[in-house]
Amino acid sequence: MGARRLLREMRVAWAIGEKDMRVYYLKPPSLMFGILFPFSIFLSFVIGRNMPINRAIPVLIAQTLFFASSSIGPVTIPLERRIKTFDRFLSAPVSLMTVLLGKTIAGFIYGIGISVIPILLGVAFFQSSITDLAALTAGMILSASAFAAMGIMFASLPGQGPGQVLMPLNFVRIPLLFISGVFIPVKDLPAWGQVLSVFSPLTHTIELVRGGLGEENFFETPVSIAVLFVYLAIFLFAGMYFHKINQRRE
Amino acid sequence: MEMAVRAINLTKYYDELLAVDHVNFEVKTGEVFGFLGPNGAGKTTTVRMLTGISKPTEGTAEIMGYDIQKQSIQAKELMGIVPDISNVYTDLSAWNNLIFTGRLYDIPKAEREERAKELLELFGLYDRRDDMVDDFSKGMKRRVCIAMALMNKSSILFLDEPTTGLDVQSVLTIRDLIRKLNREDLTIFLTTHNMEEANQMCDRVAIINKGNLIAIDTPEMLKRTIKELQSVEVSFQNGKRDLTKDLAKFSDATHVVKHGDKYRIYTDAPSTILSVVWKYAETKGLKVITVNTLGPSLEDVFVKLTGVKPEAGSKKRKGKVRRRFGF
Repeated sequence: MGARRLLREMRVAWAIGEKDMRVYYLKPPSLMFGILFPFSIFLSFVIGRNMPINRAIPVLIAQTLFFASSSIGPVTIPLERRIKTFDRFLSAPVSLMTVLLGKTIAGFIYGIGISVIPILLGVAFFQSSITDLAALTAGMILSASAFAAMGIMFASLPGQGPGQVLMPLNFVRIPLLFISGVFIPVKDLPAWGQVLSVFSPLTHTIELVRGGLGEENFFETPVSIAVLFVYLAIFLFAGMYFHKINQRRE
Repeated sequence: MEMAVRAINLTKYYDELLAVDHVNFEVKTGEVFGFLGPNGAGKTTTVRMLTGISKPTEGTAEIMGYDIQKQSIQAKELMGIVPDISNVYTDLSAWNNLIFTGRLYDIPKAEREERAKELLELFGLYDRRDDMVDDFSKGMKRRVCIAMALMNKSSILFLDEPTTGLDVQSVLTIRDLIRKLNREDLTIFLTTHNMEEANQMCDRVAIINKGNLIAIDTPEMLKRTIKELQSVEVSFQNGKRDLTKDLAKFSDATHVVKHGDKYRIYTDAPSTILSVVWKYAETKGLKVITVNTLGPSLEDVFVKLTGVKPEAGSKKRKGKVRRRFGF
């Protein structure tokens, strides 16, 4: 693909992302699964425990990144497929990857926008300090991208509406919380749990966020960055593969 | 002549169900091509394959010479699509719907704004450009949908049931617009189950049934293929009693049907029947009020070929009047 073509595809991806922001950010499922859900889980986790709030901040950041970024795709794609606006992308002179990247941008910005709030609150009111800006930035950018692509991958499975996609997605998202060092740090997990945690993208989000806010890491920063990169690619290509199956079936 | 569309062995299976069966046809540039068929015949599936929305199980299609599978970007740049349902963004204004479409085709900002303004004015929606499409009537949404399909100045426009369910005014507006676009050299691929619409608008039509293409020709040539549906319609001033039995005795009449004060004499030799009717009227002392010779309608052809009556919405006009004599 030439540079001109690439630039064109990027402009179209941005147009798709921008349209999704405008249309879907304030839809009830986006607000419920992207904002209410992670904050509720966080509160049920911290209330009644003697955990210093600045130690809980990385958990909240990781959870909001995880839930907010991965909720936009499952809201937009099934709805657009049902009302046939998704056909507009399939009949437009752009590649399927560009369409999915556009959808990823919408999830990415949603996740970043919401997870910045606990960072600001932590820094302003709860003595959190950013000690490794590069790790924090890389963690947030890669996690928001990977989770947005994860949402799109689930949304690309044949389904009728957002509810039907969000259910299997939550079936995966919630158990991941238990093996990713969110509730129990990875170092305190049993050996099998530590092995399992390597394969969870959320582990590497919380590792990078904790590292960025001056806490101890279990995995080296480059390892977490590499794992998130791999997941981003897997989710995007799996999403594309599912769409191609849909095109053959529909 | 360059072909605007070529369907080459287009085939689609939904699991075991064969929806479109090795369909081949060509659409010439600049023509209005009607694609007719009963519900479930494979019309929309064919259009979805032609436009790259759905992948064929077998075969392919070419748009202006570009293969929709292998050169999909080039092919898609040349087409505009109005699907069977108005797939507009109801949470966006009419203006933003058009602008977003322009961005999907990567039309430069100034050009897409100019084009959006031009199209909204053409469709009588410019004054409502900032209103959410959700508040629009069905006809207005349809117009927005067609305007979106015209944003990229395509060479071929696919219209899938563009007037179904619309009020008369919107139907007439859209038909006028299609004619106008066609006069400006836009090739039109019109999918419809409205026979009258196809008859009025199309240069050629193809009829698909159960996934198979069963006829393709001009409407008039198709009508000529079923001679037995030609008829002579006659009414008499003094014809108080039922003359059906008398008229059915004419040697070239296949059967006679009474419609109110008129008799329709079906025949494959209308001119012979005409002279027999005159002689009969003279003999019986009857005064002929009107005589019309009727050809089969496109709907007759459709029913004959598919065995299916077109649905409501296909306003039928029984027969085309070839010649009309008033007395």
